[in-house]
Amino acid sequence: MIQFNVQKKLDAPGGEMLLDLQGEFPQGQLITIFGESGAGKTSLLRIFAGLLMPETGKIIVNQQTWFDNRKGINLSPQKRKIGFVFQDYALFPNMTVQKNIEFAAKNRQNKKEITDLFDLFNLGELLNKKPETLSGGQKQRVALARAIASKPEILMLDEPLSALDHVMRSKLQDYILTVHKKYNLTTFLVSHDVGEIFKMADKVIVLDNGKITNQGTPSEVFSNKHISGKFQFTGEIIRIEKEDVIYVVTVLIGNSMVKVVSEEKEIHQFSIGDKVLVASKAFNPIIQKIQSK
Amino acid sequence: MIWDPIILTFQLAFITTVILIIISIPISYWLAYTRSTVKPVIETIVSMPLVLPPTVLGFYLLVAFSPSNAFGNWLDHTFGLRLVFSFEGLVLASVIYSLPFMVHPIQSGLSNLSTSLKEASYLMGKSRTSTLFQVLLPNIKPSLITGIVLAFAHTVGEFGVVLMIGGSIPGQTRVASIAIYDEVESLNYDIANSYSMILFAVTFVILFAVYTINGGFLKRFWE
Amino acid sequence: MNTLRGKITSINTEGHLSLISISVKDVTFKSIVIETPQSVDYLKTGNTINVLFKETEVVIGKGKIQQISMQNQVPCTIKNIEEGKLLSRIDLDFQNNEIVSIITTNAIRNLDLKVDDKVVAMIKTNEIMLSEL
Repeated sequence: MIQFNVQKKLDAPGGEMLLDLQGEFPQGQLITIFGESGAGKTSLLRIFAGLLMPETGKIIVNQQTWFDNRKGINLSPQKRKIGFVFQDYALFPNMTVQKNIEFAAKNRQNKKEITDLFDLFNLGELLNKKPETLSGGQKQRVALARAIASKPEILMLDEPLSALDHVMRSKLQDYILTVHKKYNLTTFLVSHDVGEIFKMADKVIVLDNGKITNQGTPSEVFSNKHISGKFQFTGEIIRIEKEDVIYVVTVLIGNSMVKVVSEEKEIHQFSIGDKVLVASKAFNPIIQKIQSK
Repeated sequence: MIWDPIILTFQLAFITTVILIIISIPISYWLAYTRSTVKPVIETIVSMPLVLPPTVLGFYLLVAFSPSNAFGNWLDHTFGLRLVFSFEGLVLASVIYSLPFMVHPIQSGLSNLSTSLKEASYLMGKSRTSTLFQVLLPNIKPSLITGIVLAFAHTVGEFGVVLMIGGSIPGQTRVASIAIYDEVESLNYDIANSYSMILFAVTFVILFAVYTINGGFLKRFWE
Repeated sequence: MNTLRGKITSINTEGHLSLISISVKDVTFKSIVIETPQSVDYLKTGNTINVLFKETEVVIGKGKIQQISMQNQVPCTIKNIEEGKLLSRIDLDFQNNEIVSIITTNAIRNLDLKVDDKVVAMIKTNEIMLSEL
């Protein structure tokens, strides 16, 4: 359980902003932090990680006090057991991929666990390369592997996927989900992609101007009504075509395109670029094997 | 012996540079990351030798370390350390005089590194010291080399400070730049020319090396 | 998407499945969902909710319907027909609620559907979604 109630004044582009955050997260959830840029998303992560000191308040993680300004407690980042993936990845340029990960894992003896990590992230061919020679997606993978290498209890990802294309993005989302479950982590992910949040998050907190304005499951937060259909996706409208008396709406969901039929009376509310919820009942789709494991 | 001043010059430059590396790393680290209000004061003091005439620095050191004043006397009696007209005195003066040439490149190297490198290392449980030596310094190699080379070259070329505090004692404080001056005074242009040529050549080589390294031309041989 | 507002009259739960009866005007709609009153709080007898179903899932019957497995049978009047080459849209009136059905133009011709005809709109139980207001 992570309980926090912290306040800090920040210098924001639009003048001073008061960050005033309180909440409670059970362990083992994947929590996304959503909000406009400058809303305080990164600052929230940095406060949890001990990289930014709040002026007042408390942070208590599993009954251990990490920060309490009244008692003068401020646990150093070194002791917080956090794996952090920075926006710029922060791979050490002087070390190879392997050295980067081993450096993070230095405190643990089990060599097998480290080679398991290399396998899990398919790093085999990259091990002897320097970070500067890697592509964005590869850097991301290494940064994620390195964040896990120090055996954290909490994983924090500061908008790591925003610079990647759709295919890369969806692969890395899968990596994140895999490690989140495999290592039983509490994961915080900064994201402003609603589709990504629906795919990944147990919980989403919405930040606006330094305050939490909304929180809950992705469907509680993003679809104002709960729909019983179990075959639900969110995507973006990329095309609307009239065919006969109906309309075919093409929606990009993750990296696949799907088509949904709509009709005259409802089509006027849609335009290209809109984020939409596509829902059907679990009874309708058929399922077919395409490859055996 | 004609080579004595040259050897003495490089001895002085070498020892000065080693001491500068040791003291400049913590000073640069502090300057690069501190948010303290005294930072501008320390920066100013470190940079003073850049603009102050060397004779001013030499004059104050001479006054401070002279055995005829209380501090110099105390040093002499307690440690047997006489800093005027001695090699030790020259080293101390050179360290102060060349400090900005070492501190500035390291400081700007550190400030230009993304802070996330440092933070990532802390979050892996690494201490400040091991972060400094395993992550930060290895990633500012060009700045370190620039600092080392500039401090070395600058010490080789100093004259005013040495003249004030060292005088011209052969084998002790008579470095090449002083020797050249002396030889010219005695109209020994040939010897002055030899010293000058050697200094000219060495300085050229050193500075050429700095620009080549920083221009990245040597990078592929470097790794 | 057709939307009708109704009141839950009964809930029959078995494992994770529930069969919900909703009365809309004087017709009872049935919907099967993978939800239970424990998993979502809008599933409560007496609650008003939306009944949602796709236009293309609305089957039209005319005349006497003998025996058919469709549980949801809604008597309607045809208000308008817009014929396309392959597909056509039928606007239906169900006690002042609008229901739209999209069926093939061939089917309209076979059944000889015309404005003001009395027909029965039918929707399979598993095609009906529920949503809170």
